[in-house]
Amino acid sequence: MTDQAVRPGPALALRSPALRLIGNRLATAVPVLWGVTFLTFAVIQLLPGDAAQQLLGINATQEQLREFRDKLNLDDSFLVRYFHWLGDVLTGNLGNSLASDQPVTSIISDGLPTTLELLLYALVISLALTVPIALLAARNPGGFVDRVGMVTSMAGLSVANYVLAVVLVYVFAVKLGWLPAIYTNNTGTLGELVKSLTLPALSIGFPLFCFYTRLLRADVLEQMQGEDYVVTAKAKGVGPWRVLVRHALPNSLFGLLTIVALNLGTLIGATVIIEQIFAVPGIGHSLLEAINNRDVPVVEGIVLVLAVIVVVANLLADVLYAVLDPRIRYGRSAS
Amino acid sequence: MRHRVKPVVLLCAVAGTVALAACGAKTNSSSTSSGSSTAAKGGKQGGSLTVVLNSGYDGAWPAGLDPVTNTNGAANQSLMNSIYGQLIELHEGGKLVPGLASAFKFSNGGKTFTLTIRPGVKFSDGTPFTAQVVADHINKVLKSPCTCRPTWPVKTVKASGDDVVIDFAAVYAPAAASFIDSNANWVPSPTAFKKLGERKFRVMPVGAGPFTVVSDKLSSQIVLKRNPTYFKKGRPFLDQLTFKSIGGDEAAYQALQAGQAQAYENLSTPSLIDQMKKDPKLQVTQQLSTSPYNIQLNTNAPPFNNPKAREAIYYATDSEAIRSKLFQNRYPSTQGFTAPGGLFFSADVPGYRTYDLAKAKALVKELGGLKTQLGTINVLVAKQTTQALASQWAQAGIKTDIKSYDLGPLIQAFQSKKWTAMLQTAGSYDPAAGVGVAFRYASQSPFSGVHDKKLDAMLGQAAGTLDQGQRKTLYDQAAKYMNDKAYSPFLFAFAPASAAAKGVTGPGLTTALTAVVVTPSILYDEVSMGGGGSA
Repeated sequence: MTDQAVRPGPALALRSPALRLIGNRLATAVPVLWGVTFLTFAVIQLLPGDAAQQLLGINATQEQLREFRDKLNLDDSFLVRYFHWLGDVLTGNLGNSLASDQPVTSIISDGLPTTLELLLYALVISLALTVPIALLAARNPGGFVDRVGMVTSMAGLSVANYVLAVVLVYVFAVKLGWLPAIYTNNTGTLGELVKSLTLPALSIGFPLFCFYTRLLRADVLEQMQGEDYVVTAKAKGVGPWRVLVRHALPNSLFGLLTIVALNLGTLIGATVIIEQIFAVPGIGHSLLEAINNRDVPVVEGIVLVLAVIVVVANLLADVLYAVLDPRIRYGRSAS
Repeated sequence: MRHRVKPVVLLCAVAGTVALAACGAKTNSSSTSSGSSTAAKGGKQGGSLTVVLNSGYDGAWPAGLDPVTNTNGAANQSLMNSIYGQLIELHEGGKLVPGLASAFKFSNGGKTFTLTIRPGVKFSDGTPFTAQVVADHINKVLKSPCTCRPTWPVKTVKASGDDVVIDFAAVYAPAAASFIDSNANWVPSPTAFKKLGERKFRVMPVGAGPFTVVSDKLSSQIVLKRNPTYFKKGRPFLDQLTFKSIGGDEAAYQALQAGQAQAYENLSTPSLIDQMKKDPKLQVTQQLSTSPYNIQLNTNAPPFNNPKAREAIYYATDSEAIRSKLFQNRYPSTQGFTAPGGLFFSADVPGYRTYDLAKAKALVKELGGLKTQLGTINVLVAKQTTQALASQWAQAGIKTDIKSYDLGPLIQAFQSKKWTAMLQTAGSYDPAAGVGVAFRYASQSPFSGVHDKKLDAMLGQAAGTLDQGQRKTLYDQAAKYMNDKAYSPFLFAFAPASAAAKGVTGPGLTTALTAVVVTPSILYDEVSMGGGGSA
């Protein structure tokens, strides 16, 4: 014990619950990422169609097809190609697109910032709407806001986001002319970026808001009705809004946080579709095209990056848990 | 060529209203021009135009825009023409007009085709556009994998002074017409290619066309600006031209309504066409078809190795009902492989077996039942048509299993030779060029269900005849022979429409042009944001 106190470095770090948590999560992330890449590779092999024929087109001669396959080792077995790709990835090389011969890293770096901006904007919209509406609904269950919120949520959850996208464009772009119908951020200014991404972000964020609102409302209500600390606070004469915001809400945010992190994969799936509709030049657009072309290096590269984002987001959620709730100390439960 | 993109060939395409072109379309066996024959009368100089393209077809350029390596070149004609210009252009009225080549002619009885390269032309990088450069390019693209590569019976391609001399092994009548749907038409700068390297050239190509590339994000957006050294004086009108890939017709319509785009090239959803025609802010122009929909029957395998089974399909198919009820008479009827926008059009084929349910039922009964698969490409019009056909055939007792394919699996289905029936398009501006009649019906084609030496000879003879009148007679005879043998029922000649914002003018956007492969090759050097536009 004394020795450890004298030598703070790595040993101290190992004793830090937060760092141990991060270490554990990163360790579990490795097999997760490996599994994702392996499954993606396998699924692409199972798709009907031949990559060489798909990429070279209908007029390619047998000789051209053979040359193409030889050049890219397409005739090697699935496992050989996979481990060859994995070996390159471990050295930081994601390979080149089979279709355009452009480096996968440049395809990702071109599109990823826009996709992340869209994802972040969608999350901000959904959470910025969720918290006040859920609190207002929970403050007066069965009241006007609660009922309107319930109807809105049900409607929002029933409508696919690509349908919502069309409706939003019709109202805000076509009829009102407030926002562009497609991505038009050619100057790169923040204002134009926000304008360009508002409708795509709303199309993704609104269904999330509907889902999160129902969840948070229910959780806050449960806290308000059944928890001792709420009764104590009320008994101390704390006002109802203060009880709601300062006591019930922080406890309810854990559930929301978990769902937000778990939902990230779904969110990325929605982004792929929405990017198509709004002509957003993100990696969702590139991913869809690469799947159609059987462009394995591009698909694998993008899926890997997206998987890393999901893993990191979940890790951050776990860490945030510990930060938000002093009762939670990871790694102490065993002791 | 790939599906979503793609099916240039397999896709279906091309349409029409009736045409100026048709038989009256001219392919000059010898032609010269000053280079700007599609008359722009007082088009407004300047302005920026944004065109949205369907991400599933012409809005996909995943392999980049080098004509040698772009396997989707046939679908990317607007982009390629805007960057590289064209040696030979297809103008209104179905006229082939010299572009970067100032003249073209046949000699040696049709076995030699000579292009004279316009003197003094430079690529946008300032290097000279010479006959040697063009000859080298043609030799290169003859080996390219694009669906759009020339399929000529070529012996040699050589430069001689300002001429490019192409010697054929046999008379090849569609030589000029075959330029407009091939990558031989788009000549890149060899100096820029050498300087940039193959990989970078795919993204930032350099040509001698009306525009130069400012930025290019593959299959997403390409921004072009006016090429001040373009050989046509006063062209292009536009200062900037942007192509953006978009998810489909509905999204394109909304972008046009909201003003973020001013043109859309490949509109094919029937209900949207009607809706857009009523929109006071838009102009919708139906383009001219060159490729009719046909039902390909695999005559090498059961059940369609039996002529009676093929006849049953003819009699059970009510193409008029599909044309009028499903597509509101938008697409003209045709009984052969020619269409109103292309050369040698004949709507009717003598003795054609039209819909006769009683005869179809009798034949099915005689055969002891008939079962078939009916495949097609994943395209709305094609899928709607296969569904209609299956229900019509069911009334005659024919059991049909419908399948729709992406391009790759569709190619494989053809190559496996296990297919039974496919709804496809057959034909092109000149039936012997590009994805023409031989592509679907010649013995040597992997995409043919017919292996008939007599038909091969008939099509070969037509392609080897310079006289246009004689060629028409030969194609009429081939169409009749195909009908006599019940090789393939034809339905209607589909073509997409173009939509443009009010004020925009240009050939192929606001006037009808003949479709080259699937869509017409819009002449963006003549497109203007106002004024007289094209004649």
